[in-house]
Amino acid sequence: MEKEVENILLVAHELKAPLAVLRQLALSFEFEDSTNEHIRSEMVSVSERAIRQVNDLSKIARLEDGLFVMEPVSVRAVCDDVTRELNYLFRYHQRDLRVHYHNHARLVTANRDLLYSVVYNFLLNAMHYSGKDTRSELTINEKAGKIRINIRDFGPALPMDVWREMRRGWVEKPTSIAMRPGSSGLGLYIASKFSRYMNANVGAIRHRDGTSFFVDLPVSKQARLF
Amino acid sequence: MIFIIDDDEVMAECIARYCKGQPTRIFSNAIEAMNAIDDEKPDLIFLDILLDGPDGFTFLNELASYDDTAKIPIVIISSLDFSGQDLSSYGVVGIISKDTMLPEDVKKYV
Repeated sequence: MEKEVENILLVAHELKAPLAVLRQLALSFEFEDSTNEHIRSEMVSVSERAIRQVNDLSKIARLEDGLFVMEPVSVRAVCDDVTRELNYLFRYHQRDLRVHYHNHARLVTANRDLLYSVVYNFLLNAMHYSGKDTRSELTINEKAGKIRINIRDFGPALPMDVWREMRRGWVEKPTSIAMRPGSSGLGLYIASKFSRYMNANVGAIRHRDGTSFFVDLPVSKQARLF
Repeated sequence: MIFIIDDDEVMAECIARYCKGQPTRIFSNAIEAMNAIDDEKPDLIFLDILLDGPDGFTFLNELASYDDTAKIPIVIISSLDFSGQDLSSYGVVGIISKDTMLPEDVKKYV
C-alpha cells in the first residue's frame, strides 16, 4: 500500500508539472514583448502531451482486462505517424530528428495504440535529453526474428539505476529522476508497461555521448504488406 | 546578468520573460551553470531544485564552498514545498512556489 501511495505521489507530481507550465504561459500573455502565437503554440503542445500522458496512464489501468487487441502492425507506419506528430515539436525546440529504416515493411505482432505510445514516449524522452541543435535518431532493424525500434539521443548518459532497471527489461515504477512534461520518469514506465503487455522487450544502451532506448517486437507470421 | 537554472525549457522561458529588460541566461542543468559562473558571475540566480544530474542542493553547496560565489543571491523556484525552511545560509534570498508563482513574485527580485 505504501508503495502504491508513493507511485501515486510521483505520478501526481509529474502531472502537476505541465499544469504549472500552462499557468505560467497563460500569465505570460500580459507581456507586451511576448509573441502571442509562440505562447499559444506552447500551450497547445504542453496540454497535448499532458493529455496523452493521462490517456496512457488510464490505459495502464486497463491492461489487466486484456482489451488491447494484438494484431499484425506495420512498424514503419506507426513510426511514420509518431515522427509526423513530433516533427513540429523537434523543430520548435531546435532539435533534429533523423529516421533510418533498414527494413521497410515488416509487420510485428503488437497493439497499434500501445506501440504508438511506446515510440512517442521514447522520442519525447530523446528530445528532452538532446541539447539544442543536436539530433535524435530513430532506426528500425531486424535481428533474429525480432524487429528493433531504436531511439538514440546525444544527451547525458542515463543514470545507472534507471539503466539497471531497463536492463532487466522492466521499469518497476515511475522514477523520480526527472519530474517534468515528457520526462523519462513517467515515459519509461509507460513504455515499459505497454511493451510487457505486447510481449516485447524494452532496454537501454548507455553510450559515451548519449543513450539509446529500444523495443524488440516479435515479427508477425502474417505476410508482408508491401 | 541573471541566471535561470531549470530543466523545463518552457518554464525557464516564462521566468526569463518576467525578468523584463534584464539580460538572462538559461541553463538546463547545474553543471552547465557552474561552468558558466567561472566566466561570468551573475547578479542573481533563479534555481529549480529537481534537475537532471546534480540537483539544486548540490548546486547550492557548490556555490557556498567558494568565496567568490557564496555571496550570489539565489531565489529557489520549485514545485517542492519549502515552507518553514530557512536556506539563507546557502545564500537563498527567496523561495517561490511554481504552483502559485506570479510574474510579480519574480520581478521583485530583479
